[in-house]
Amino acid sequence: MILFLQSLLSGVLMGGVYALVGIGLTLVFGVMRIVNFAHGELVMLGMYLAWFLFTRLGWDPYLSLVVVAPALFLWGALLQAAVVGRALHALPENQMLLTIGLGLAMSNAAMLAFTADYRILTTSYSSSGLQVLGLSVSEPMLAAFLVAVGVTAGLYLFLLRTDTGRAIRATAQDREAAQLMGIDVRRMSLVAFGLGAALAGTAGALVSPTYYIYPQVGGAFTLKAFVIVVLGGMGSVVGATLGGLLVGVTESLAAVYVASDLKELVVYSLFLLVLVARPSGLLGKARA
Amino acid sequence: MALLEIRHLSKFFGGLAANADVSFSVERGTIVGLVGPNGAGKTTLFDCVTGFHRPDRGEVRFRGIRINGLSPARVCRLGLARTWQKVRPLARLSVLDNVVVGALTRTRRVEAARDLAREELRVVGLSDRAGVAAGTLPVGERKKLELARALATGPELLLVDEVLGGLNPTESEEVVEVLLALRASGLTLLVIEHDMRAIMRISDRVVVLDSGEKLAEGTPAEVVEDREVVAAYLGEP
Amino acid sequence: MLAPPPLPASASAPRAGARAAGTWLAAAAVALLALFPVLVARPYPLHMGVVLFLAVLEAAAWNLVGGIAGQYSVGHAVYFGAGAYAAVMLLERLGIAPWWGIWAAALCAVLLGLVVGTITLRLRGPYFVLASIAAAEVARLAVLHFRAFTHGAQGFVVAEPPVLRLPGLSLTFDGKRPFYYLTLALAVLAVAVNRAVLRSRLGYQLLAVREDQDAAHSLGIRLSLVKNQALAISAALTGVAGAVFAGYSRFIDPDTVFSLTDVSVPMVLYCLAGGAGTVEGPVVGALLLVPVSEALRNPRGLVSLGLLPAGSGVVGFVERHLSQAHQLVYGLLLVLIVLFAPEGVAGLLRRLLRRSRARPRPAPPPA
Repeated sequence: MILFLQSLLSGVLMGGVYALVGIGLTLVFGVMRIVNFAHGELVMLGMYLAWFLFTRLGWDPYLSLVVVAPALFLWGALLQAAVVGRALHALPENQMLLTIGLGLAMSNAAMLAFTADYRILTTSYSSSGLQVLGLSVSEPMLAAFLVAVGVTAGLYLFLLRTDTGRAIRATAQDREAAQLMGIDVRRMSLVAFGLGAALAGTAGALVSPTYYIYPQVGGAFTLKAFVIVVLGGMGSVVGATLGGLLVGVTESLAAVYVASDLKELVVYSLFLLVLVARPSGLLGKARA
Repeated sequence: MALLEIRHLSKFFGGLAANADVSFSVERGTIVGLVGPNGAGKTTLFDCVTGFHRPDRGEVRFRGIRINGLSPARVCRLGLARTWQKVRPLARLSVLDNVVVGALTRTRRVEAARDLAREELRVVGLSDRAGVAAGTLPVGERKKLELARALATGPELLLVDEVLGGLNPTESEEVVEVLLALRASGLTLLVIEHDMRAIMRISDRVVVLDSGEKLAEGTPAEVVEDREVVAAYLGEP
Repeated sequence: MLAPPPLPASASAPRAGARAAGTWLAAAAVALLALFPVLVARPYPLHMGVVLFLAVLEAAAWNLVGGIAGQYSVGHAVYFGAGAYAAVMLLERLGIAPWWGIWAAALCAVLLGLVVGTITLRLRGPYFVLASIAAAEVARLAVLHFRAFTHGAQGFVVAEPPVLRLPGLSLTFDGKRPFYYLTLALAVLAVAVNRAVLRSRLGYQLLAVREDQDAAHSLGIRLSLVKNQALAISAALTGVAGAVFAGYSRFIDPDTVFSLTDVSVPMVLYCLAGGAGTVEGPVVGALLLVPVSEALRNPRGLVSLGLLPAGSGVVGFVERHLSQAHQLVYGLLLVLIVLFAPEGVAGLLRRLLRRSRARPRPAPPPA
């Protein structure tokens, strides 16, 4: 029983971070209707940036968020303006391939810059644990979770209360109507992509004390982000939040009860099964 | 037994009744016009009949066979074809190849299908455009292509969804002639249209839908006089 | 006036005369390629040939599902890997010679295709792409995990294929030449299959599905059946490619044969670069991109081909800095192709031909 609660808890903690990744992806899809297969590479960039700032300047990864998030936001906006935004009229399949190409380019650029060596970011608290309600909890994971919750809350506030946030939601609901009401949809796309990248980079920085950092690490994040978004319904921020938690918990339980190296396989297999039953995701609109 | 029988058909989307208890029949060899204001549920009815939606209540019988719940491909192979309100050309294929795709439901051999396709193109008057990419056609020709393609599947009943929309008077006239010629050759048609003059001219019977319900049914003359129909279209006198 | 059309990739596009000329040209090219090993015995050019023909085989296999049916699977490595492992495990564990192993590989891949197809082909757009990637990942992770069965991450070292004894001749598969001919034959087969499908009833129906699935459905096309047929053929060809690859490179492991970036993506890229949905597209794409990728991966090969002087600084530079850069190139190419040449080289050429043909004509008189 303790084991179950333990893995449930670590699943929730990880799920909070996954939720950030998922929300970033779903925002991009909601606003631009583009499926960004390079999303995981944005997480990877966040990880490397945090590592770089830690090893060169001694910055704690949770503090370097102050730099990582805006940096990734700018990078995302740049990608959107220079590349992705130019593909708006391409076939959706080709748009997907374009983002796959971007992902490949980014992960291999990272390989050229940093080599394929696994990097680790060991802070003073990287391996320390806390006791919470009788369960032991990894300190960095708890910190990551709390920051993730804070960021998510901030995002919800942004989307619900600010003008730009409302404009984004309007664009996501109906691009044409938003345009007709004077919303600059191109600017919204820039903001959405930038936000998505910032969220991804934040997630990367948050897990950098506990993950091996290498150029290909993004791939698994992309796939998991998609699982999250599909489960929660493409374009639904709430759905992505719940989906993130669900994926985190599933993975954690699978690692304990099935096999540690099969945990991702379990997530992907469940994902495929869900798609069989409900091709538009658990919370998505059911097809006739 | 009528060729197509729609009995108490209802289709809900969320709380909205797109079709509410609609019943009517289409007799073999006739043209039945289906009219009504926008949003009346006409295209939804087509979708229910052709298998793109499953009706929530009621049934649809074609040649006595219950077809609601069958897949669109099955419905087509049973002899019921449709055109689309927003035309759907197979853009990167040629005009001829578009129709060949339809004909390949009737025959398995590609050469035979091409002959059938050429014949259907002749019927709608697109023979000289056979090699053109369908995506480049202007709207009038796209509509004719859509007709030819559906005809190529060899239907007994053809559902035509607003084929005259966006056509100039000459094109309109050509298409109306085609529809009349099709009836003369024995085909049965159920035609959604907004062009009332055309409907009056070609229909043997007219069914009027409004807000999902059947408002009236009868000969064109009868329907035009019906007070409720007039109110729905033109507002209270 | 409407914008210039997307180019028709329909089966009737080339006229009969042009088609016959194309066939003769292709036959001549194949004959020349077949003569090549007789004239050139050096191993590296033959190796390039094998790599090239395998690429054509894979691209042509993907073309059936992606180019013609319009279902962009980015997880075709699942069939490649399944074919590789099927053939190798039959050889290593049951002593079954690769000549039979290849058929088993194809069968295995087809069965896997039916399973994956049933799950994924009912999905549209991004869901399908995603599910295809997930399927390949599941396979890779599973093969990695069940070590007792598959040797896990260690992979299999493949023994030399035994002598093939047929009535009248016995073939030994040492050296590159036999593989050269085998892969050439398979590449020709795959291209021929593409051609045959494009002209057949199935081809028309697949093209219709690609252009507009709902319209195709309303015209009596059974979507599931038709897509699964394309996938079955595609999977079989891909599985065979995997089996041949295993026999040729003599080593397989899950990360190599189930790889997204080294198997699935190149298949898509070669086909797209040449022109998806056409017969010549996979060939053109492979011809253009394989040399680039090989040059980056193995610059010494350029020396052995006489294209670079021995001891050239370029070799050292590429080896030190760009040896993994072929993936970077794939990524950039994907971006560039989607933005500037989505119909591939074949499409670009056709567009240029059209424009040059259209120019000399005088403007029509005003209506």
